[in-house]
Amino acid sequence: MITILNILILIFMPFLTIGIIKKTKAFWGGRKGVKLLQPLYDVLRLLKKEAVYSTTTSWVFKFAPLVGFSTILFAGLFVPMANGESVINIPFGFIIFSYILGFGKFFSLIGAMDTGSSFEGMGASREACFSTIVEPAFFIFMGSIVALTNNHSFANLKMILDNAGIYGYLIITLAVITIFIMLLIEGCRVPIDDPTTHLELTMIHEVMILDNSGIDLGLITWGAGIKMFLFEALIAALIIPAGLPVWLAITAFLAIICLLSIIIGTIESSIARFRMTHVFEFIFIMSITALIILTLVTYRIYGN
Amino acid sequence: MELYFISLCLLVIGGIISIFVKENYKMKLCAVITGVSTILLTMLSVACLLSGESFGAQIHLPPIFESVDFIIDPLSAFFVLVISVLSFLGTIYACGYIKPYLNKGMNLSPHTFFLMLLIASMIGVVTVQNSIFFIVLWEIMSLSSFFLVIFEGHKKEVLNAGIKYLVYMHISMIFILSAFVVLNINSNSLNFSDFISVLSQNTKLANIVFLLAFIGFGTKAGFLPFHNWLPDAHPAAPSHVSGIMSGVMIKTGIYGILRTIWLIGAPSKFVAYLVICISVISALWGVLYAITQHNIKRLLAYHSLENIGIIGIGIGIGLLGMVYNNPIVALLGFGGGILHILNHAIFKPLLFFCAGNIYKQTHTKDVELLGGLIKKMPYTSLLFIIGSVAICGLPPFNGFISEILIYGGIVLGLVNANNITAFMTLIISLASLALIGTMAILCFTKVTGVMLLGNSRSEQAANVSFDVEKVMLIPIFILAVLAGLIGFFPQYAIIPVINPILEVTKNDTVLSFIPSMINLLGMLSLIFFVFLIIVLLVTGFRLIINRKSRIHNTWGCGYNRGNERMQYTASSYADLFVSTLKPMFKRIVHIKKPKELFPKEAYYEIKIEDLEEAYIVKPLIKLDEKLLSKFERIQNGNMQQYILFGLIFLILSIIGLFFIG
Repeated sequence: MITILNILILIFMPFLTIGIIKKTKAFWGGRKGVKLLQPLYDVLRLLKKEAVYSTTTSWVFKFAPLVGFSTILFAGLFVPMANGESVINIPFGFIIFSYILGFGKFFSLIGAMDTGSSFEGMGASREACFSTIVEPAFFIFMGSIVALTNNHSFANLKMILDNAGIYGYLIITLAVITIFIMLLIEGCRVPIDDPTTHLELTMIHEVMILDNSGIDLGLITWGAGIKMFLFEALIAALIIPAGLPVWLAITAFLAIICLLSIIIGTIESSIARFRMTHVFEFIFIMSITALIILTLVTYRIYGN
Repeated sequence: MELYFISLCLLVIGGIISIFVKENYKMKLCAVITGVSTILLTMLSVACLLSGESFGAQIHLPPIFESVDFIIDPLSAFFVLVISVLSFLGTIYACGYIKPYLNKGMNLSPHTFFLMLLIASMIGVVTVQNSIFFIVLWEIMSLSSFFLVIFEGHKKEVLNAGIKYLVYMHISMIFILSAFVVLNINSNSLNFSDFISVLSQNTKLANIVFLLAFIGFGTKAGFLPFHNWLPDAHPAAPSHVSGIMSGVMIKTGIYGILRTIWLIGAPSKFVAYLVICISVISALWGVLYAITQHNIKRLLAYHSLENIGIIGIGIGIGLLGMVYNNPIVALLGFGGGILHILNHAIFKPLLFFCAGNIYKQTHTKDVELLGGLIKKMPYTSLLFIIGSVAICGLPPFNGFISEILIYGGIVLGLVNANNITAFMTLIISLASLALIGTMAILCFTKVTGVMLLGNSRSEQAANVSFDVEKVMLIPIFILAVLAGLIGFFPQYAIIPVINPILEVTKNDTVLSFIPSMINLLGMLSLIFFVFLIIVLLVTGFRLIINRKSRIHNTWGCGYNRGNERMQYTASSYADLFVSTLKPMFKRIVHIKKPKELFPKEAYYEIKIEDLEEAYIVKPLIKLDEKLLSKFERIQNGNMQQYILFGLIFLILSIIGLFFIG
């Protein structure tokens, strides 16, 4: 029962989060804004539209959005959801999570290269380059948490407080920052990337999907929403303590997701996208927070 | 065990017979003979791997050696299996690849002879238990592969690469030889089995022997400071030879290291940390330079370095598990490392063979000149993409299985680490593995994106109209199927690895953790099927609800005259990453800027040189030349002086005799 609820949340919640982000931006801009469920209608409309394929493209281009969407959906099964438990609970879940996402990324990168466009290769190059900084930081972070909690699935995010003693809240704060930056990168949000415009040479993810249209674009948009939601769910797992009653856990989960979406919307309204050179510096903040967490954990375990 | 000798003899005799056969049938004969011996050896090694029992035989050569042991124990059997199967596929592939050379009227006799000799000597090396015979077989292996590398010896760069390879192999030989000499002096024996007792008593000796052996065997395997022959030799050799060399031959170096560990039994901390340290650096170095390379075979050669590094990390984690008495970490580390040997032997020849197909059709190895091949060579391209996904270690292919075992070892080690050095080493290996994985993705999206997809970037690529013949596709197809099978059924793929692990770790507590490892792999297999179902569901969903589509040009942001020269190139794809890591490379830039009102000529060329070659190897060679040039005067071609030198030598030795006597 709760598993089905989790899967439904995984599939449909992203529309709501994107809706909330759009509403927040409209609020700060002094506009009325689109309907809360407009992202859902957009995707539904795209699913019905006919796709346009370039003469240059091959099966890779058609296959890439399908793989991308399925990998994101599948990766979602490893992330702790509404009740604090993931649908598939397996040792080393976080490694499978990242590698499955990597598989999707591989195909979306070569899908972009398949168009033979002068723009999309640039986006692919940047996306590939940024993930080389993100992944090691994520693994250092997860490795430290594993060592701290003696648990090697995503469930360990909830156990930090019990194991870290006086550093508990500090580690959780740093962890939230780490995952939040990862969310901004992987979810292609401002200040790394701007999902609302396509035609800027500073684009990363958005420029990769210039040639996708119709149902393919629908799946990609949907997938991107789910991906962002996954990282929000990870942050929620960090914040919500273990051992709450189910109804309370679910309410807290949904509340935190909504709150995070509002924060993302506020950030997008208040600052502009960084220049490409500054993006690197911003991403390195994630590595630094991960290293600080590692230091704290090492001190906690071997300090005395 | 008779089967073993029969198949070895078959290979050697087959090589000799192939000299006298008509040119057209030489390679086919080799393929048939290798096939027969592969069947024999596979039966033998599978029997050994499943039962865990060793087969052995002795040859008596009374006047010099009392007896020479040839033993197939699980560790040897694993390598025999990999070597024989891969060599067979390689020779089948060669039947097709060699055809254009035949049409040019090239003499294949040396090639086929040395190919068979290489296969036979590799199998010999991993089974012989006597140090002298080991050295002899090792030397035959190095020399025969040298002759295979210089197949196109009339080209200067090929010959240079071959000679470089030969020099490196003989430097490695010095170290292996000295390791054996040290052991021989201490144990008064030439047999491996007698070394064990000496090594287990004396840790200092064990460390020295391991260091010597690691440098020696590591040169063959391509570990960092001694890797420089790899990126030159592989592009020079024909593709089937690169496949066999990279997939199998360099693994004999890993075999040597594993055998040394087996001899030592209980390794020291020094050994474990040394292996991890070198491996991490090698893997990072390999993938970093692979990203900068645009010659497809050179790039793949650097990826060998990366994969050898990953194997080394696995072995290192295993050693760490042994040192700190943590059997599950040892099991997962060695399991991942040894399984990665098999995996690398599957996807690396796959990629080399695909590169060979592309070279055969387009006559270029330069990625920048290719493009759009997926429409012209659909099968090769599909197989290449499968290979790239596998080599990046992405699920659901075989590379992921070995990597997650290594990750598992690291993560469980983190949980149980009891000192800060081990903890930090593990964290660094964890982050490095992740970094290696993402960099491999960057590298292979570059290769597939630029080489196979988009529009053709040159005449050579545009003129290709059909895929290669079947005989060149079938071996690659078999390899791709193997890669998929290991990915989807890892719980069965691990079975041949278990007995070699037990052989190396020599620890009974390891046994009790095997079911849980198989259990984990079973879960992975289940998960991959769930993933497959999700992909199929999404694909079905897409096909059912909407299949309308239209054809149009690529969207050029309003510009309608986009052409192939405007596509993103491999250099530009890698540039963001490469320019971020500037200090890691030595960039040689040749640039001529356009000048005046009507510029005539302009070019921009970047060549990236290996730092190790630029700052270590070349200065050493220069120093060497400087020193040796002092002795040039001695060699002056004057016969009278040579006789004088002989006389002086004689007088000196007579004087010396007086002193000694």
